[in-house]
Amino acid sequence: MFKNYLKIAFRYLSRHKGYTFINVLGLSVGIACCILIALFVRSEWSFNRFHPNSERIYRAWLEEFYQGEIFRNTATPIPLVPVLQAGVPEIELSCRIASMRPPVKYNNNIFNEEVNMVDSTFFKIFNFPLLEGNKQDPFSTANSIVISERASKRYFGNESPIGKNLEVQLGDDNILFTITALAKDAPMESNIQFDMVIPFSNASYIWSEQTRNSAWSNVSVASFFLLQKGTSVENVNQKAATILQPLVAKNYKPGEYNVRMQPLEDIYFNTTLPEGERGYSDPKYSYILGTVGILILLIACINFVTLSVGRSATRAMEVGVRKVLGAERKQLVRQFWGESILLTFIAIIIGFLLALASLKHFNQLANRELFLSLNSFTLIFSVILILVIGFIAGFYPAIVLSGFKPIQVLKGKLNIGNNMGFFRKALIVGQFAASIIMIICTLTVGKQLNYLRNKNLGFNKEHVIIVPTNKPRQLGNALGKRYELAIQKNPKVISTTTSMFSMAQLGWMSLGYSDDKGVFRQFRFNAIDENFIPAMGLEVVAGRGFLKNNTADSNMIIVNEALVMQYGWKDPIGKKLPGKYPQQVVGVVKDFHFESLHTPIAPLVMALKPDSMFAYSSDVSYNASPQPRVSVRFREGNVQEHIKSLEAAWKTVAADENFEFRFLDEALAASYEQEQRLGNIVKYASFLSIFIACLGLFGLATLVVVRRTKEIGIRKVLGASVPRIVTLLSKDFILLVIVASVIAFPVAWWALSKWMEDFAYRIDIPWWIFITAAILALVVALVTVSVQAIKAALTNPVKSLRTE
Amino acid sequence: MIELQHISKWYNVGGKPVFILKDINLKVKEGEFISIMGPSGSGKSTLLNIVGMLDMPNEGAYHFFGESVYNLKDKHRNELYKKNIGFIFQAYHLIDELTVYENIETPLLYQNVKSSERKAIVADMLDKFNIVGKKDLFPSQLSGGQQQLVGIVRALIAKPKLLLADEPTGNLNTAQGEEIMQLFQQLNQEEGVTIIQVTHSEKNASYGNRIINLLDGRVEPSLQNASH
Ligand SMILES: Nc1ncnc2c1ncn2[C@@H]1O[C@H](COP(=O)(O)OP(=O)(O)OP(=O)(O)O)[C@@H](O)[C@H]1O
Ligand SMILES: [Mg+2]
Repeated sequence: MFKNYLKIAFRYLSRHKGYTFINVLGLSVGIACCILIALFVRSEWSFNRFHPNSERIYRAWLEEFYQGEIFRNTATPIPLVPVLQAGVPEIELSCRIASMRPPVKYNNNIFNEEVNMVDSTFFKIFNFPLLEGNKQDPFSTANSIVISERASKRYFGNESPIGKNLEVQLGDDNILFTITALAKDAPMESNIQFDMVIPFSNASYIWSEQTRNSAWSNVSVASFFLLQKGTSVENVNQKAATILQPLVAKNYKPGEYNVRMQPLEDIYFNTTLPEGERGYSDPKYSYILGTVGILILLIACINFVTLSVGRSATRAMEVGVRKVLGAERKQLVRQFWGESILLTFIAIIIGFLLALASLKHFNQLANRELFLSLNSFTLIFSVILILVIGFIAGFYPAIVLSGFKPIQVLKGKLNIGNNMGFFRKALIVGQFAASIIMIICTLTVGKQLNYLRNKNLGFNKEHVIIVPTNKPRQLGNALGKRYELAIQKNPKVISTTTSMFSMAQLGWMSLGYSDDKGVFRQFRFNAIDENFIPAMGLEVVAGRGFLKNNTADSNMIIVNEALVMQYGWKDPIGKKLPGKYPQQVVGVVKDFHFESLHTPIAPLVMALKPDSMFAYSSDVSYNASPQPRVSVRFREGNVQEHIKSLEAAWKTVAADENFEFRFLDEALAASYEQEQRLGNIVKYASFLSIFIACLGLFGLATLVVVRRTKEIGIRKVLGASVPRIVTLLSKDFILLVIVASVIAFPVAWWALSKWMEDFAYRIDIPWWIFITAAILALVVALVTVSVQAIKAALTNPVKSLRTE
Repeated sequence: MIELQHISKWYNVGGKPVFILKDINLKVKEGEFISIMGPSGSGKSTLLNIVGMLDMPNEGAYHFFGESVYNLKDKHRNELYKKNIGFIFQAYHLIDELTVYENIETPLLYQNVKSSERKAIVADMLDKFNIVGKKDLFPSQLSGGQQQLVGIVRALIAKPKLLLADEPTGNLNTAQGEEIMQLFQQLNQEEGVTIIQVTHSEKNASYGNRIINLLDGRVEPSLQNASH
């Protein structure tokens, strides 16, 4: 029986090639999209889950209460790990990770590398397998270094790195390390990344003994804990509080200084805690893409249903005969279901091939290293697809077809599908609504991103190169100044400036204090030089900028309009920040976007020397110890040459340092990378969804036209013109697109407003985009239907009538 | 074997019932060969479909081998139907996507006959009706007479006790029609298959042993009596 079904399914599909082609093409394109999106979403959701113990690994984060405000930090004090390991029995293992980016030298090659200074438990807690060398004890001496495959390739090509020596700059010292082991590269889906790993005993090169042992207010390293099986995290949090309380009692009341455990698997999607080294992702994007994938699949499924039902007239006779031959309804349902599953199966195979072929491009689009292989995930995914598409999409046709009454069919009395049934109309409307929603979203997302790119940020972002010094503050400043001197004579350079934070750098320092009225205030802070304001093109709206060689200016500050507004100052010049700050305001700059447009402009203070500011602040928090950067504004011209001369100059002041640079405009664009990527994926997806919907429409139009060939012939004989006939045939479809638009508009508007909430600066969703989307869908539908209608209208009526 | 009592069928046209069959009473014994005749639109096909359980009357009772057909559950009726009744159409109604062999095999599939048994039965029938050479052809590759022969073989494959044929020779030329009629006669006489056929031809009707004349949904009394 099954073989018989299969046989007839194959014969049927190969006999009606056009129908099969449209159905399979639509489905397989939809499936390919779905596969790629599923791979992406899976990659998002598998972050940090590749460690066998991942559900027992926790990262500590710090919660401090101050004057009614809460401060959270994912960087923690250095002594936290040893203190908790000693005092909390539930902790099986623990590990500190200090991520740095020092220059690493081998022979004459210098690269800035991602170096993690870690406790030796690193390789036990985490799943970073060692491939070569001393796999049991990679940290046998303090000068051991483990190198990743990627970094090893950079320095040694295909040679084995084991036993080679590397010079790593730690603090002010250059330390010689010997490579003891080669580690597999950390997967992309990991928040912990490294080029090299060194033992934590080298911490003394960077931090003072006091910082390492008892500085509970300094946050420097990430702290990870592997808890015993079956441990209650709340219990660990409580024990930690009890242990830490006496140690921080000098500065914090009980309950004001809390260390909490965050599951490792939670890090990537938790957007409430400060971003760690590798950032996180908003799970929203998984949901959006997942929805897009399901929508595309839905459109393909609807095609399937409308086409099968559209073809039902041709199959009715077979149904009638089979029933006369003794078939029961459920046997017929099974047969038609089998056919839809077979079709789905073919589509899945083609879909996988399509996905495979476009994977490289998709990886670029999504910035991932996804790969497709025959594993349990893809198998389960395909089975689910077959079930969902084969069963659900096949359900309606199966039920419709199997329900035909044999006498009616055999008498030729069956009157199906001369006009489209309500159900099929609803499906087409659904299909168009989904496509229109996607067009509206694509256009609006594109417009918003365009707005972000082109918005006046309050400073001049063009033709600026940013050169990080990669050195701690004092050293970095000195190097920056030396470098500025070296390039100032370069005719291509317009101006230079060294600052603690550059533009496009996230996380300008946040300072807080209580003012004279006891109100807690927070503002952002940057240490700049006298060139910063002119070089960046900031506008001074009151007072003046800093002056060169004016020693008095070191006690002055420049603030932005947002700060003036916050304090309600009428005449800000000469004002001092209320409270204990002695610094006087000498100038006010127009608000500029030193953070991304996701957030509104915060109050900002800029000073020449940061030290005096810190002394008065009660809350200092920033991501890593700031390393000053040089910003260079250059003339238009051959950029490659500029870079070359800038690099040559770099070598004269820092021969041993890697020259790193970044274009300011590119760095700015990077803050919207996630949105940009999403926008691109949605763009492709909506294009494909329209394509699939059109395929279905084309097929349906063909069926309708074929079925009405006789009517068209009669009308022509009666004198109807070709345009009249085209209008007649297109009318129904136009109405459907209009209904679809009415449904799509509010849904699209709602979805977009939700998405736009992420941006402090956003466009109003323009109404013309809605009209454009509807017209686009209408035009596509009309063209598709008209092609068929014209063809039918042009055929000789005598021919079509004779064949009846 | 068959007993129809007070069978009536009507359609509502413009609120008024239009009768197609009116109070039909009919008894058919096993082994009979009956021809139904009558002008176009007199309800011949409708009656045949009711006998073949493909259609239902609005009124009346139907006993098939003593079982009251309209009191049976769908499943049982289907069972009764596929075990006992074979259908032949004027338009052959072979399945285009299946070969001759597969068309003939299909009723056996729906009766869950085992594969090996199926093969034997089909091979036997192909042989008996001399169409072994055509078994891998598709219906479109056969002449009308050949297609109808396949249709008959398909109707007979499950050894039905009752063969129903609605103008089986309507699309065939006289020679082809005659062959089919001789085949019917042979089936009826040698294998005891009960046959009810609808026909417009007096000559074809004469192959049977009883003629039922329908006029406006009623059995013509004079002729009914005459045949007895
Ligand atoms: N759905 C319907 N509604 C109204 N009348 C119907 C319907 N179906 C069939 N009829 C009528 O029933 C009558 C009997 O039809 P039937 O097909 O049984 O005739 P017939 O004797 O087989 O004719 P023919 O020799 O042309 O095949 C016809 O007059 C037909 O018009
Ligand atoms: Mg008839």
